[in-house]
This record gives sequence, C-alpha cells and structure tokens, in this order.
Amino acid sequence: MECIKQGASDYVLKDQLLRLPEAVRRAVRERQLREEHRKLLDDLARSNRDLEQFAYVASHDLQEPLRMVAAYTQLLAERYQGKLDENADKYIHYAVDGATRMQRLVQDLLAFSRVGRKGAERCKVDCNAILATALQNLQASIEESGSRIERGELPTITAETSELLQLFQNLIGNAIKFRGSDAPVVRIAAERAGREWVFSIADNGLGIAPEHFETIFVIFKRLHTRSEYPGNGIGLSICKKIVEQQGGRIWVESVPGKGSTFRFSLLAQDGRAERKDKQDVGSRAS
Amino acid sequence: MNPGIEVLLVDDSPADLDLTREGLSRSRQQFQVSAVADGAEAICFLRRQGKYAQAPEPDLILLDLNLPRKDGREVLSELKNDPQFTRIPVVIFTTSQATSDVNRSYAEGANCFVSKPGNFPEYAAAVQFMADFWLSLAILPRKEMQ
Repeated sequence: MECIKQGASDYVLKDQLLRLPEAVRRAVRERQLREEHRKLLDDLARSNRDLEQFAYVASHDLQEPLRMVAAYTQLLAERYQGKLDENADKYIHYAVDGATRMQRLVQDLLAFSRVGRKGAERCKVDCNAILATALQNLQASIEESGSRIERGELPTITAETSELLQLFQNLIGNAIKFRGSDAPVVRIAAERAGREWVFSIADNGLGIAPEHFETIFVIFKRLHTRSEYPGNGIGLSICKKIVEQQGGRIWVESVPGKGSTFRFSLLAQDGRAERKDKQDVGSRAS
Repeated sequence: MNPGIEVLLVDDSPADLDLTREGLSRSRQQFQVSAVADGAEAICFLRRQGKYAQAPEPDLILLDLNLPRKDGREVLSELKNDPQFTRIPVVIFTTSQATSDVNRSYAEGANCFVSKPGNFPEYAAAVQFMADFWLSLAILPRKEMQ
C-alpha cells in the first residue's frame, strides 16, 4: 500500500513473478485508457470553444448583410405598397417580417455568445445594490403590472457586475411577464448553503410543468406562442450561461398555476479560497 | 434657402450610401451631396488632389469608421489635426456601437456620433434629422472665400 501511495501504479509480490506479464499488460492498458480519456476531454473543451467562437463570429458578421435585407425590403414596402398587386404587398410583408425576426434572433445569439467574452474584472459586489438597479430598470413593467416586490437581505459576492445585473433582471422580468390572473408578487432572497449562496426569485405566476424544467433553459426554446408572450426564448439561456460561467447552478421548482421559484447558486465570498485554483483555471480557459 | 451647402458622405457600402441619400432627400434643406468610398479618397477629395481638383469644400461630413485603405478613425484624426479642416463638423455614422469607438471618436474631435439604425424607417429618420439639425438649426462656420 505504501508503495502505491508513493506513486507506484501496481505492486507485484516476488512469489507472484509468474503473473508479472499480466500485471504489466494491465498497467499499460490503464495508462492508455487514462491518456484516451484526457484526450477526449481536451477535444471536448476545444470543440466547445470552437463552437462558441463560431456562434460569436456568425452572429456578429451576419448582422451587416441582414441589415441590408431588412432596410431594403422595408424601403420597397414603403415605396411600392399598393402600387403593385395584392400578392406583391403580401410577399414584401413576409420578407420584411422574416428579416426583422432574424435580426432579433441574431442579436440575441450575439448577446448569448457575448456572456463571459468581455473579460470584465470580477469584483466584490453587493447584491442588494444590484437588485436595486435591476428593479429600477424594470420599474415601468413593475408599475404597469401592479407587482409587489419583497426583498430579502442579499449577500456580497465576487462576480461580474453587469452579468449579475442581467441575471436578476431577466429572472425578475420573467416573474412579472409570465404572471397569472392575480397581481404579481415576487420574492427575492438568498440562503447560505455550505460554501455557496443560493438565491431565489419566487413568483405567484403561471408556473411551469415538470417536463419543461430543463428545456426552458435551452436557447430559443419557448413554451408559448409569440402572440401570447413576445420574446425569442433567450433570457433563461443567458441566465444559465452567466451562472455556470461563475461555477454555479440554476434550476426551477414550480407547480403549474401556483407559481415558480428560480434558484441559482454562487460561491460565497469566504467559500472562494478553497476553490481558487480551480476557478482561475476555468476563467483562463474561457 | 442657403445655396451652396455641401455634404460629403464617406462610406464604402453603396447600399448604405443609397439609404443615406434617401434619408437626405426627405429633409427640406437644400444642399449638394458628394460621396467617396474610402478614407484615402476622402482625403484626396478634401485636399482637392487628382480628379478632385474641382471638389467643393464640404460644410458637413458624414464619416463611416470601418473603411478600406484609410480607416475612418485615421481620416477623423487627420482632419481634426489640420487647421484647414478642423472646423468642418464631422458626424461619425457607423454600425459600430462599441464604447471604445464612441469615446475615441469624441476624443479625436468628432462633432457627433450616430449609430446606423438596423431598419429603414429609423435609418431614414435619423439621416433626415441630422440634415435638419446640422444644416438648419445649427449655425455652421462661415466658409472662407474661394
């Protein structure tokens, strides 16, 4: 045992020398498997990075030609509306509609692929202040919907300020947007769980069926038609990316018709030291 | 009517130039429009070099930032560091919304920074608004006698 602790990969008793070839073969195979495993992980990491880069470049470079298509179909619509025939008006309308919808999708994709790209400094942030800004930004929809906001005491953590703001704003915005027949009541709180803080945004809105608990976080997944609720299905996927980039998790608990509680975990200020090395490696790789 | 007002457009995209002309045509102001497709041409135009020997002196320049040959940023810097041109208002009109581009443009002496809107009605309205503001409401520097 001692020898293995010191780094030997196998241990052969002299009287078992007959079994040596077998032990060597096994050791070689284990090493090969470990190598393959590491290579697979490297490949996966590289492929993920390539994919992110692709999404960023594609969405960035698609904007320019798309702007031309949108602008000129709109110009056609404006200038020739009612001057061709009925079908022409309809076709131009389809083209304008498709182009502007694609513009929004491309902008959303760009916003999604920008999460974590800015390389902005993480610093100590008071989540109470971030929440106050988020509520200020949402003031119009809070007032218009007659929402009541209940704020618990939130901690100070290490994070990227603008992304944390977006996280709170998206989740609270959703709580108000997907409301039931009653005026929205949104509760924001945080609880300590080991080395992490678990934040919660709870509402009394529509709620979500359990079979959608995972899919709602997938980019461009929507549970409603655009006419019921506008949007492209980007908000929660951005939330997930923000939380996971900071090493946390996000999930939902909900009873349809009763409301939803979105929770996300982020490392506590004093929980950081233990994981510092791992965090640093993660942020360098991204 | 103020005769002889000249606007210079510097943009490498023919499609954007047409959109800008369309917007300008909606303004009630009277002016002439010239256009060049890159930064080097813009400098030749202003310095009346080569085929631009007869070029008019612009009263207003709409300058795109991302241009072939000589970048819009270089053109801006060159104009604002030349006593002959420094008083001509330069409006940066570009798709860029990057804070670095905005800040740097103003630091270099740009008179205004406008991001090109993504759809036609807003684009045309923005250009019309700029023309009305710069060529009617704003008082422009008086041209030297030529």
